[in-house]
Amino acid sequence: MSTILIEKEEPVTEAAETEMELSPWLAELRDEVAAHPGVNHLLLSRLRTGRYTKGDYRVFGLQHYPMVGTFTRYMELLLLRAPSSEQKLWLAKVLVDEYGEGSDGEDHASLYLKYLYSMGVEPGEEESTPLCTAVWEFIGNHLRICREEPFLVGLGALGPGHEWAIPKMFHKIIPGLERAGMSYEDRLYFDLHTEQDIDHANWMSEALEQLGQDDEARAQVRRGALLSLGARFRFWTGIERCVVARRQPHSVDAVRRGLLGRRRPDREESPGNRQELFQAIQDNWSGKDWPVRLPSDTELLEVSQ
Amino acid sequence: MRILLVQPAPFECGRIGLENALWMSEPGALTAIAACVEDEHEVRIIDMRLEEADALPRVLSSFKPDLVGVTCMTTDAYQAQAVLHCAKSILGEQVFTLLGGHHPTLVPGEHDYEYIDAICIGEGEDTFTELVAHLAGGGDPKDLHAIDGLAFRSGDTQIQTSKRSQARELDTFPAPARHLLDAYKGQYFFASAMNMAAIQTSRGCAFDCNFCAIWEFYEKKVRFLSSKAIADRMEECEEPFIFFLDDNFLTRPKRLEELCDEIERRNIKKYWMIQGRTDFVVENPELMKRMRDCGLMMVLSGFETNDAGTLESLKKDNTRENNLKAAKLLNDLSIITTGIFMAHPDFEAQDFEDLYAAINEMKITIPLVVIHMPLPGTQSWRENKDRLLTEDARFFDLLHAVVPTKLPRREFYERYAAWNESTEASIDSSLSMRFMARRPRLMMAMRPGMKLFGERREVLRKALNDPENYLRDEDEIIGELPIAAQRASESAVRETEGVTA
Repeated sequence: MSTILIEKEEPVTEAAETEMELSPWLAELRDEVAAHPGVNHLLLSRLRTGRYTKGDYRVFGLQHYPMVGTFTRYMELLLLRAPSSEQKLWLAKVLVDEYGEGSDGEDHASLYLKYLYSMGVEPGEEESTPLCTAVWEFIGNHLRICREEPFLVGLGALGPGHEWAIPKMFHKIIPGLERAGMSYEDRLYFDLHTEQDIDHANWMSEALEQLGQDDEARAQVRRGALLSLGARFRFWTGIERCVVARRQPHSVDAVRRGLLGRRRPDREESPGNRQELFQAIQDNWSGKDWPVRLPSDTELLEVSQ
Repeated sequence: MRILLVQPAPFECGRIGLENALWMSEPGALTAIAACVEDEHEVRIIDMRLEEADALPRVLSSFKPDLVGVTCMTTDAYQAQAVLHCAKSILGEQVFTLLGGHHPTLVPGEHDYEYIDAICIGEGEDTFTELVAHLAGGGDPKDLHAIDGLAFRSGDTQIQTSKRSQARELDTFPAPARHLLDAYKGQYFFASAMNMAAIQTSRGCAFDCNFCAIWEFYEKKVRFLSSKAIADRMEECEEPFIFFLDDNFLTRPKRLEELCDEIERRNIKKYWMIQGRTDFVVENPELMKRMRDCGLMMVLSGFETNDAGTLESLKKDNTRENNLKAAKLLNDLSIITTGIFMAHPDFEAQDFEDLYAAINEMKITIPLVVIHMPLPGTQSWRENKDRLLTEDARFFDLLHAVVPTKLPRREFYERYAAWNESTEASIDSSLSMRFMARRPRLMMAMRPGMKLFGERREVLRKALNDPENYLRDEDEIIGELPIAAQRASESAVRETEGVTA
């Protein structure tokens, strides 16, 4: 086995030289985000060190895909609640980018579909695949944060919680995609997010610098980031279970958890596919309850404690 | 210095595997090296087999260790790498990452990654102590040339320092720092023997079976802990059960007589489990009885096969007759037998039937049928390298055929997956009322763990009994052609293209 490919990798610097200089409280928050279990979930390191195949990434992608179409929805919800035109402008800049500007006319969803199809996903499968509870939870949590929490909590969730976290997470995913045989073109969505989101992060940082003038405001931003990352951690755990369950539907993990005294059913029912998820988002907008029980704030925050 | 030692989980959560469900012992390698440095440094151990996935990043963020060390065998090699990758990801370059254990020792080249600062080759205590002293003293983490027993990156190549001698008397090592596992107390087990401690009383094996790498790891030398030291450690254990981790406990009868003397003299009341060979059992029936009276409750033996010719080809240096006699003797003594048998990739349908019938005839209490495979670092691996269908470390788990099977793979796995059901008779006839009535106190001691073991066993059986599980695992990874042949064919294509160009 000494012939296994040995990679010589570049250290993960994430184009740090392009990131804007932050005030101490934001720098501290950035470090907290960088060290958060949601950003450093073992699945991400496993993708990096393990031998996952295209079939495994196909399962991963089908569960991850719904997130692509919902980020703009969170932004739109937050935009409605932005207290000033200046803040609306910052959000709008990110939104325009998310709609596809700068991606040769292809929005993020089309780029992601390209990735899915390169792994053998049949057209339509991305709509009909049952999604795990963790996906519904993640999206439901963010809709709630952007609608119900104070504006700065929402900004914390989408700014530090997303824009700072995503490049770091995707840097870990990309080498695994390469190892599984995916070309740069096929995985462009991921590569793009390690570059483009640096700009988003800077725009967000600029906004946060101006808005985080007192301790209360800063605490709200931090709370939003930690709520989002707590949800992210649960999301990766759910995705990992789906990837493993593809090959091993009888979860031995249930046994392990039995040992730990934290029992979990061998299998869980999917709350629905992507079409049903987007219908639920519409219904939620019209005032209907989210169909999946959402973890409490305490559950999300304790991930990092 | 702050030091974090990590036992990785063997598989991704949920993946099939014998570990977790049948047997989980303390991470003895970690408590052993921790003991060497804990007086001067702050050391923590985290066992990821018993933790949720968020535990590692949480501990890394809050404890902020200066050194993270991980041990691994073969199947958990990628998990161990993931732990170190996660450590670098959270703590950056200032954390020193160290990998040790069986697999990195035998194939260090497979762990040459930028997130692994050094690999400990062979026995860890002295190498680890010197490395920690070097780093704590402000030594250059990139200049480790003066420390024997390490492999590390120097420029573009991985270099190895001088071989670390493995001759130190075991009694001179400090007792393992088992107190660092207090958070996991009561969670280690073998079958229904819950709340189990682990002690290693010897290292190495004098035999040279070609499918095993233990004797190569220890360079065919065997060293023993004195009976007094073993008894001291047994007395220190609060747990009612002890697993002796020795790869071959049953050797040197005089040593074992002395141990029984100590146990009797000190009136130690523990139930203990060992791994040992059947020939020793047959040759020392009185000693086996005496050990039973001193608490021996289970012997795990590699019976390997029901076929004399195969035993010879494995260089087992044992006989089928010994296996039969040992099984009977252990049953008569009411000592639980755990028998490991191998299904060979070149098995035909009848071979499976014969193996299961032989197991039932032997009345093994806990039969385990695994798939014979050339494990990395063994003689068998070197001989079969060209036949390997995969080099993916996860598949060297004794549950997958990593070389071509004689039967079509589906049929091979269908017949293999039947072992659980097909050897039920063995368990039933071994665990007779007579067997249990003779050891009522042992049965009472195991009672609390029986319900949980029953549940674990049920889930494991669902996974193991389904042939599709094995086939799904192989999907996209194991093809029809061995890796060596695939590479040769790719290289020929390249050459042809080169000529054409």
